[in-house]
Amino acid sequence: MLSVQNISKAFGGINAVDECSLEVKKGSVTGLIGPNGSGKTTLFNIITGFYPTDSGEIRFNNHPIQKLLPSQICHRGIGRTFQITRLFWKMTVLENMIVPVRHTGWRTLFSQGVKKHEEERAMELLDMVGLTKFRDEEAQKMSFGQQKLLEFAAILMSDPELILLDEPAGGVNPVMIEKIMTLVEDLNQQGKTFLVVEHNMRLVMELCQHIVVLDHGQKIAEGKPAAIQNNPLVLEAYLGSEHHAGA
Amino acid sequence: MKRILFSSRFWLVMVSIVLLAYPIAQHSQYYQHVMIMTMMAAVLSSSWNILGGYAGYTSLGHAAFFGLGGYLVALAHNHYGWHPFVSAWFLAIIVMGVALILGWISLRTQGSAFVVVTIAMVFIFRLVALNLPNITNGARGLTQPRPGWGGVQWSPEFIMVPFHYIMLALLCLTIFVSWRIRQSKFGLGLIAIREDEGKAEAVGINTMLYKVLAFGISAYFMGVAGGIYSYFFTYIDPQFIFNVFTGVTMVLIALLGGRGTLWGPVLGAFIMEPLGNWLVGAFGGTQIHLTIFGGILLGVMLFMPLGILPTITNEIKRRAKVRAVQVQS
Amino acid sequence: MSIPSSHLLIQTIILGLLVGGVYALMSSGLTLIFGVMRVINVAHGAFLILGAYLTYWLFQLTGLDPILSIVLTAPVLFLIGWGVQRYVLSRLENPEKSSVLVTFALAITMEGLMGTFWKTTMRSVKAEYASEVIKFMTYRIPLTRLIGFGAALLVLLILYLILQHTNLGRAIRATIQNPSAAELVGVNIQVVSAMTFGIGIATAAVGGSLLSMIYSFNASSQTDWITRVLSVIVLGGMGSLPGAFIAAIILGVMEQLTAVTVTLYWSPIVFYLFLFLTLIFRPQGLMGEIVREKA
Repeated sequence: MLSVQNISKAFGGINAVDECSLEVKKGSVTGLIGPNGSGKTTLFNIITGFYPTDSGEIRFNNHPIQKLLPSQICHRGIGRTFQITRLFWKMTVLENMIVPVRHTGWRTLFSQGVKKHEEERAMELLDMVGLTKFRDEEAQKMSFGQQKLLEFAAILMSDPELILLDEPAGGVNPVMIEKIMTLVEDLNQQGKTFLVVEHNMRLVMELCQHIVVLDHGQKIAEGKPAAIQNNPLVLEAYLGSEHHAGA
Repeated sequence: MKRILFSSRFWLVMVSIVLLAYPIAQHSQYYQHVMIMTMMAAVLSSSWNILGGYAGYTSLGHAAFFGLGGYLVALAHNHYGWHPFVSAWFLAIIVMGVALILGWISLRTQGSAFVVVTIAMVFIFRLVALNLPNITNGARGLTQPRPGWGGVQWSPEFIMVPFHYIMLALLCLTIFVSWRIRQSKFGLGLIAIREDEGKAEAVGINTMLYKVLAFGISAYFMGVAGGIYSYFFTYIDPQFIFNVFTGVTMVLIALLGGRGTLWGPVLGAFIMEPLGNWLVGAFGGTQIHLTIFGGILLGVMLFMPLGILPTITNEIKRRAKVRAVQVQS
Repeated sequence: MSIPSSHLLIQTIILGLLVGGVYALMSSGLTLIFGVMRVINVAHGAFLILGAYLTYWLFQLTGLDPILSIVLTAPVLFLIGWGVQRYVLSRLENPEKSSVLVTFALAITMEGLMGTFWKTTMRSVKAEYASEVIKFMTYRIPLTRLIGFGAALLVLLILYLILQHTNLGRAIRATIQNPSAAELVGVNIQVVSAMTFGIGIATAAVGGSLLSMIYSFNASSQTDWITRVLSVIVLGGMGSLPGAFIAAIILGVMEQLTAVTVTLYWSPIVFYLFLFLTLIFRPQGLMGEIVREKA
């Protein structure tokens, strides 16, 4: 479904991403792991159009997307969360759900802001993540975990086919981690594809069918969870850095 | 419940009646003049608010479109005999077109850089107007025939009346469009851009398109206002019309009343414009004008950055919450 | 458009270089302020004019030579600048976004005050040597311009020395490069910001003194000067002193060339166009850093 081919990106002399290639199969939950600074978030930013790539190609459903604007990539069906949760803080929870758009034509642009069917769908999704009673609260008043759930629910509004999650378990308590894992599993059952960047190894090993490992911007290994766990290159990459893999 | 009904609809009707009856009830030329200028200030800052308030992009250069409208209308009047009351509405579409192009170029910048770009824009317009005397009559400015209709000049006692009503019409249109935008997906998108432009782009909002549209729409109303203005004063002077201070006044008015709200700019206009007129009358000259406006702008930015309307609404909400808590306990 | 003779061309370029040097001095404070505080001080033009007025009145009332009066005006403006940062700018929540409007408000307030007190008559300082012209080969160089250029170089050199060889200078450079890291190693950002703003405005005193000798001015000239200075720092790269110097020379030469080949009245367009186009197509200017878009 998503094909990253030989992507390179340098920032002033440092190769953040170096001739990196990977494939995400439709319907899978693919993990993207690696020590800090290995280029995972940079790769996300390139895939979603926030950084231009120096070289290489990215194909989504066989169409090249590396030159598109982030909004266009969203319209193609790729949604994404951010490492540090980003919401429209002063808007209400409901408004945060309504803002994401999958299709805009001229007529929809000037039409009523919050439509009935959109509101219904938003409430459905809020229900799914358990945020129903907060619908009129300002986003900034929610707890950290609730904000993460809101960000996740909001991108589902545009019904993406591929969802990029950037450290969904970052800084979140174990109960919430379970909740997030369940959500991903359920949505995956319904046919959604996931590419997940995570440091929490338990989540990655349990959730992902396929794992790609990056180090210093290059892919150093990929395969099933069991294989990755025992891969000496992977262990060296991690143990050689200051980062600790989660239990 | 009664309070809410009492406030919005009721006041809207009352104000409409006052504005409609104003020129008939108020015979002093001076006050009629002030009212027209006040309504124009409200038009300018309300349309500025579409880009500057909803989307958060501060433009100090919108006087460029005000002036462009003025020049187009004056030229059309002098060369083709088109009456400004009719031509302003159409020629402003050209102004909007120019704005869409300029917006497409300049909205690649953000934040402070954008403000500076808009300043440069106004200065370029001024320089061009000054130095193309064959078209614009250069520093001597453009004059038009005295206002009238169908060959009959309006008498000095009557002259304010048509301008009052056309400006009122423009104000109603501007507020209506601003209101519709606020209620629409477009408006929601603009506010999203203001809150977090990167995130807005990530969730599918084509930020460039939205910003350019806002830029263009706001320029339209400025263009119409400029056209009517040039006819009202029968004279436009490039030094005066293409300057940053006009732009700053729009911003000050919007900030004072409440940037990003629907009625804030209008409220700000109804405070600042009469105040400005009084100042010029009492103290004369632009210098005091500059000092006081600058001082007020500084004061607003430092002490009441949200503006009057949001500050009042927040205070009301806060008190309501306090009372709710007290009732509970 | 008229093509000038090669003699006139070289004469123009020489003048442009001299003019550029003075522009460089005037812009140095502004680019320094931006580098440290990420504040675009749109009131810089007003401070230049304030410096010019102070120099003028000192000259009118006591006959003090405009260059010498810098000894008095620079500390005064330093204190004013320091005060503005300490009591006004530091109150801002989001300096990057709101500094333009706030300093703009400051600029028009200052313009209004200066215009109220000192009226709108155009002023300039006519020292005895004001009309002297140095003849270099076959080229004529007004003495005031030469003095201006010399003073500009001197002050830029002093600034450079301060930045490179004093503790304050080191702290300033550290803050420019990475404010958070600087704070971590013990730099008091508040103090550095106030000092930098003060220094920046003090350079405006020097610039103003030169301005008063070379140009005529009144309160409303501040808008012409701020656009010039802004164009210089934008083209040079905001926060870069060497960039400002190079850009000032370029713009100075282009301004003079335009005045000679087209007409004097179109020459300001050089600044407006460079300002507009640089911000849009190469926002980092010649030597500034590319600010990465967040994601």
